[in-house]
Amino acid sequence: MNEVDELRRAMRATERADRDGLDLAGIMREGRRVRRRRQVAGTGAVAAVVAAVLIGVGGTVARTRPPEPTGPAPAATAPVAASTATTDPSPTATADPGPTEPPPRPVGAVVGSGIRYGADERVFYVVPVDVPELPGVTIGLAAGRRSPTGELTTDYLVNDVAGSDRRPGFHQIGYDQQRVPADAPVPTFGYFVGPAARIVGTVDGRHVEARLARWSEDPRLVIFWFDPGVLAPGTPLDGIVARDARDRKL
Amino acid sequence: MARGDAEFVEFATAASARLVHAAFLMTGNHHQAEDAAQTALVRTYASWSRIRNGDAYGYARSVLVNHLVDTWRRPIREYPTEDLPEQRRGDVADEVATRRWLLTILGTLTARERAVVVLRYYFDLPEAQVARELDVSVGTVKSTGSRALEKLRTAGLTAPEPQGTRR
Repeated sequence: MNEVDELRRAMRATERADRDGLDLAGIMREGRRVRRRRQVAGTGAVAAVVAAVLIGVGGTVARTRPPEPTGPAPAATAPVAASTATTDPSPTATADPGPTEPPPRPVGAVVGSGIRYGADERVFYVVPVDVPELPGVTIGLAAGRRSPTGELTTDYLVNDVAGSDRRPGFHQIGYDQQRVPADAPVPTFGYFVGPAARIVGTVDGRHVEARLARWSEDPRLVIFWFDPGVLAPGTPLDGIVARDARDRKL
Repeated sequence: MARGDAEFVEFATAASARLVHAAFLMTGNHHQAEDAAQTALVRTYASWSRIRNGDAYGYARSVLVNHLVDTWRRPIREYPTEDLPEQRRGDVADEVATRRWLLTILGTLTARERAVVVLRYYFDLPEAQVARELDVSVGTVKSTGSRALEKLRTAGLTAPEPQGTRR
């Protein structure tokens, strides 16, 4: 038996036949919730999609979002159906878009990345969020696009689903696994709270350096992203570390 | 129960044990493995109407491994002696030793390397299928798999001999 066969044999020999089965009723209940969220998201209504990740923009969505029978969603991050911050979105002849809410409004400065999609630029900005039963989470980080006229289109929003959004260290990281939108993939991005001077990811044994910007409203909060030329959007990192100005690991 | 639901129950009943074990091989932790398998099945059920007539198992497997790769900071740290099943065959000690050895050598790999190893050698998938399920190129699968095997060799890729056969 060669070594690969040995590995195969060991993997199978360690299967546990005596474990209890999974809770299929619970799985199907949660699956139905996910399905409902996707259907709501399909309408393109910003507020409804944001509710899908239990985020209320500007603290108003909590009053209008569809009822949720139980606790937080399993996913901490989600793509947001592209929504512009203009006041006059193009009308559609499709389904009822559902309750209307204002799109996420940036808090503090919008951070330009220099990444271009035609005339648009990839930008990052902090938005207010309202997560039920999580008073420590009041902000999320959005990846959007800014048109030459300054119009913002939010593509992806990440926020914490536990604890405090100002806890020192890394917070939720956004991966564009669904390539939303397909022609403007979102770079891997997130934020770190602390005196980070460098943020370095590891993927396939190589180090990739993130670009950084401090949030105008709280300089402890360091927004970071990986340029698509350095890290292809959607590529999972194997690790990530932050270092201070003296190159000490934080 | 609707027909689609009945089909899903049948599918999940048949697939869950292997999904849980695959997740265990990637995490080394039974509780995390069950959580991950549950997450994969939730997403599979959410998309059931679309995938039920296709490769539902492949879909669930892909969701599972990508979910685990995304949660890369979880180390392999469970040791099998803490939760032994009660039933007993004469080869329990061998099984425990094999599991401990397996977790030790898999623990030398990155999350993505573990994913490739599990898909290639536990699920016996061809490289092209692994590439599709991880959404990477075949070249990446080859290089990652090769690097993983090299690490496993360095870590001692030769299973412990069953007790009683050692000379």
